[in-house]
Amino acid sequence: MLELTGLSKTYSGFAFGPVDLTVGDEVLSVLGPSGSGKTTLLSLIAGTVDPDVGSISLNGRRLDGRPIADRETGLVFQDGALFPHLTARENIAYAAIDPDRVDELAATFEITELLGRRPPTLSGGERQRVALARTLAADPAALLLDEPLSSLDAPIRRRLRGELHALFADLDIPIIYVTHDQRTATALGDRLAVVNDGTVEQIGTPSRVLSQPETRFVASFTGTENVFAATVSASTDGTTVRIGEFALRSTETVTASTVAACIHPTQLTLQPANAADGEVENTVSGTVVQQLNEGTEYRLLVSVASLTEPLIATVRPSTGERLSTGSTVRLTIPPDAIHLIE
Amino acid sequence: MFPRQSRTETVDRFDWLSVSYLLGALLLCYYLLPFVSLFASQPLGVVAQRLTSPTVLSAATTSLSASVTSTAIATALGLPLAYWLARAEGPRKTLVTAIVVLPLVLPPIVSGMLLLTIVGPETLLGRLAAENGVALTRSTAGIVLAQTFVASPFVVITAKAAFERVDPALEYASQSLGKSRLTTVRRITLPIAWPGILAGITLAFARAIGEFGATIMLAYYPRTMPVQIWVSFTTLGLDNAFPVAVVLVGIAVVTLVVLNTLGSNPFE
Repeated sequence: MLELTGLSKTYSGFAFGPVDLTVGDEVLSVLGPSGSGKTTLLSLIAGTVDPDVGSISLNGRRLDGRPIADRETGLVFQDGALFPHLTARENIAYAAIDPDRVDELAATFEITELLGRRPPTLSGGERQRVALARTLAADPAALLLDEPLSSLDAPIRRRLRGELHALFADLDIPIIYVTHDQRTATALGDRLAVVNDGTVEQIGTPSRVLSQPETRFVASFTGTENVFAATVSASTDGTTVRIGEFALRSTETVTASTVAACIHPTQLTLQPANAADGEVENTVSGTVVQQLNEGTEYRLLVSVASLTEPLIATVRPSTGERLSTGSTVRLTIPPDAIHLIE
Repeated sequence: MFPRQSRTETVDRFDWLSVSYLLGALLLCYYLLPFVSLFASQPLGVVAQRLTSPTVLSAATTSLSASVTSTAIATALGLPLAYWLARAEGPRKTLVTAIVVLPLVLPPIVSGMLLLTIVGPETLLGRLAAENGVALTRSTAGIVLAQTFVASPFVVITAKAAFERVDPALEYASQSLGKSRLTTVRRITLPIAWPGILAGITLAFARAIGEFGATIMLAYYPRTMPVQIWVSFTTLGLDNAFPVAVVLVGIAVVTLVVLNTLGSNPFE
């Protein structure tokens, strides 16, 4: 178990922490924008940066103050950080406690054919496989990965993501996976921590963090782009939320009188104004002001009277292509899709 | 939105590229002509005959042994400093770099004068050394001191650049694999930086073997090749100075060949 207690570090112009975090034999995905402190978190644990305050312990052994080499924390870098003057085999053998494991790990990562080659001749995906094999050859007590897939092309990234998922399931050690890619974070993490401005804003299961963001930042960074200031009043079945002129019903209950009402773009239902029939709860009218074809989905910006910002909706292409700029539409927001942050 | 007329239609047609080639060629000629003239004016047979004279052989032996020693000292002391400079940050790095560069920008003869204030026969260090049987001036030790002062910055500056090109992430990766800092430097940093370091060592050797200004202040005797050239030139004329000069030119050419063979010529 990896435990961080009151960990903080101040650079000129950036403060990290204090962070308290416990990671068991699980995968913790750390998601955040550039400069949020993700890499600092890994650096502090790995020992490449010393904390100002706080402690780090791994399986009950204090790590802070120890040299990097004595921490048993395997580091995987964005570009693999393979030693360019050594072949793939020599890279793995350099770390291997048991020399027999080189071939075994090479087989696991399907790099046996590459063992005689030097890193500059390997593709990005191949380099990361060698880097992972090298890190595991040292038999680390914790694994720290710093955006290892971010520089790879999408198809290779998807494939390696699947392989990492299978690999992590077999490793009974704390694993921290840092990324700014939400898909990778949710696909690999047993838990997801969203960091911003040097602090952990929210931590929980990926589905919980995505569906129930606790701060405006988590909401917007994880894709809930519609965040509006709202006043609330209790109703018989949940909460009545007033955004601009509209009174909408949310199934959630809150104690505060003012909240941030969050609606994920995928939760909005759009119909052409003339296709609507009957009164449907939580429905407002608006005009499409921008239509973007993003391939697998359409992203629509819908201007709604009395709202200062347009509502953002992502819909299937079959729906999106019918709703061109200037179309009048009816938006329906399911009551259980309005998440309230106090 | 975009200009319809190509910008190339309005630019001056004067062929600046050809002019710049011509200017460059002039400078190249200025570099090469003295070499051509030297070898043309000195029949190889005469040069070879003079090379075997005892004074020339003695100067060559002194120069080579002193240069090898000073280069070894410069490397042993310079590499740790170069590594520290490559990894350090902040004002201390700037200050230390300035100190290292000082012998490079100082006129060598002034360097010799400065060194005399430390190791001269009348100084504390000079007297202490002499009492223990080591003369720090008018000796090979004096030559080594002068050469090390003037040539060692080449090792430090070039090796610093070579170390800086080694991504610190590689060192962190090595240490996170359980290797100590020393092992990391020995097995990762040094091998990767080695071509650049070797270039620095080669440059330092070339600078040391050609050192004149500081050396003549500290050790007129035993004579190194540059001092011998000076003595021959001032006493017997240019022709007598040429054979030793040919040796030094040969060493300079070999230095260039080594630098290019290493594939990391710091001047490229």
